[in-house]
Amino acid sequence: MKQKQAEVLAPAGSFDSLQAAINAGADSIYFGVEQLNMRTRSAGTFSIEDIKEISSICKANGLKSYITLNTVMYEHDMQLLKTILKEVKKQGVDAVIASDFSVFEYCNQLGIPLHISTQANVSNIESVQFFSRFADVIVLARELTLKQVEHITKEIKRKEIKGPSGELVKIEIFVHGALCMAVSGKCYMSLHTQNASANRGACVQNCRRPYIVTDAETGEQLMIDNEYIMSPKDLCTIDILDQVIASGVDVLKIEGRTKGAEYVQVVTDCYREARNAVYEKTFSKEKTDAWKKEMEKVYNRGFWEGYYLGRKLGEWTPQPGSAATEKKIYIGKGNKYYPKIGIGEFILESGSLKIGDTLMVTGPKCGMYKERIEKLVVNGIDGPEAMKGDKITFPFATKVSASDKLYKIVEAANA
Amino acid sequence: MHKIIHYRNKCIGCGVCYEQQPELWRMSKKDGKATLIKGLGKKDVYILDITNAEIEKSQEVAEACPVRIIRVQ
Repeated sequence: MKQKQAEVLAPAGSFDSLQAAINAGADSIYFGVEQLNMRTRSAGTFSIEDIKEISSICKANGLKSYITLNTVMYEHDMQLLKTILKEVKKQGVDAVIASDFSVFEYCNQLGIPLHISTQANVSNIESVQFFSRFADVIVLARELTLKQVEHITKEIKRKEIKGPSGELVKIEIFVHGALCMAVSGKCYMSLHTQNASANRGACVQNCRRPYIVTDAETGEQLMIDNEYIMSPKDLCTIDILDQVIASGVDVLKIEGRTKGAEYVQVVTDCYREARNAVYEKTFSKEKTDAWKKEMEKVYNRGFWEGYYLGRKLGEWTPQPGSAATEKKIYIGKGNKYYPKIGIGEFILESGSLKIGDTLMVTGPKCGMYKERIEKLVVNGIDGPEAMKGDKITFPFATKVSASDKLYKIVEAANA
Repeated sequence: MHKIIHYRNKCIGCGVCYEQQPELWRMSKKDGKATLIKGLGKKDVYILDITNAEIEKSQEVAEACPVRIIRVQ
């Protein structure tokens, strides 16, 4: 019998990222709508009207879709919550990810499958047992070690802890993406300084900035060199994915609803390949090095393996933003598509593009597409370089529209 | 005459405006966002003239809004 493989779950903060996740072969995606999700401020949030299209795109491509409704909920949110859940039910979204009990209650009433969010900070088997009354999938706290995770998955089997579906409860853990200095996102820093609650999806990310320590007695100030002491590096478990899978988890979750389609496609692709390699017993250091190098090209704050191997303290970033080895420079957008011959036309709005450069297109139909330019057609004729205002054409597999953004990829040092 | 301008579509429904100034704000039962009572709106931007006595409090509310979608001018 074929072993059931762990599911690769990708973030979809936009239609571009959704298509990128599909391109990369994700098994499932998660998304948020309106203001009741943890990326309200930062992601180009979908609206209730988008649920139908997201669900139908996922069904057509054989992916499961999960909707995050994982903020703190207030009394005045109840009607919106019900409206969203009715649409979720109607459109057949596969599950809701939540931590507030009001969401559990309404999902129960409407018969919608529920997943427990990492915001619930589930860290032991008793909590799993408790939540199994409501949910078939539980996302564990991100601060557990793999030993602790393994204990939980073994106990689920031993005690036969089943969810409402009658199946054994599944365990999901984060395998890649941003980490927070606070325990599983329960942070009040942004609330205290800017009145912007992370737990309502409004985090201003002030932990990512440099800080000065002041001696309260003398007033002397010390600048902390080379470390952003409240900004952890990003989680990356690709080196230890064999151990992650051996711990018995069912779902491998990738963080990043606010990140670009190129991040979603590259990271999801690497984890899908790595997951397959583990099951096919071809997982090796050469491969993990190559995947890591690929993932270093897209948004990252530097990598560490999180708390899974028992580390007590986080590794802090040495820089304010991304440490990606490649940078994308916006140069234009889609203009026209010639479907019969499969050619896309793009218009350059700034910068330039020449033979030998690497271009990238992100959009709702193509997800992310990247290629090194071998031949350049500028305004209908072959040319070595295209400048601002020029139209360039090249073979393109999907329909091109003004929603497609054209970028030039450069090494980060040259940006 | 001073006025409050509310860019409503970006509201995250935290309720701080209503908590601090319930005489001018309420939380919509329909979509969970803040509503400027008696504000005149067009394309999700709502405007309300306020009295001199209401300016200071309104400025505090604008300052407290986590997504900075309330302006007093």
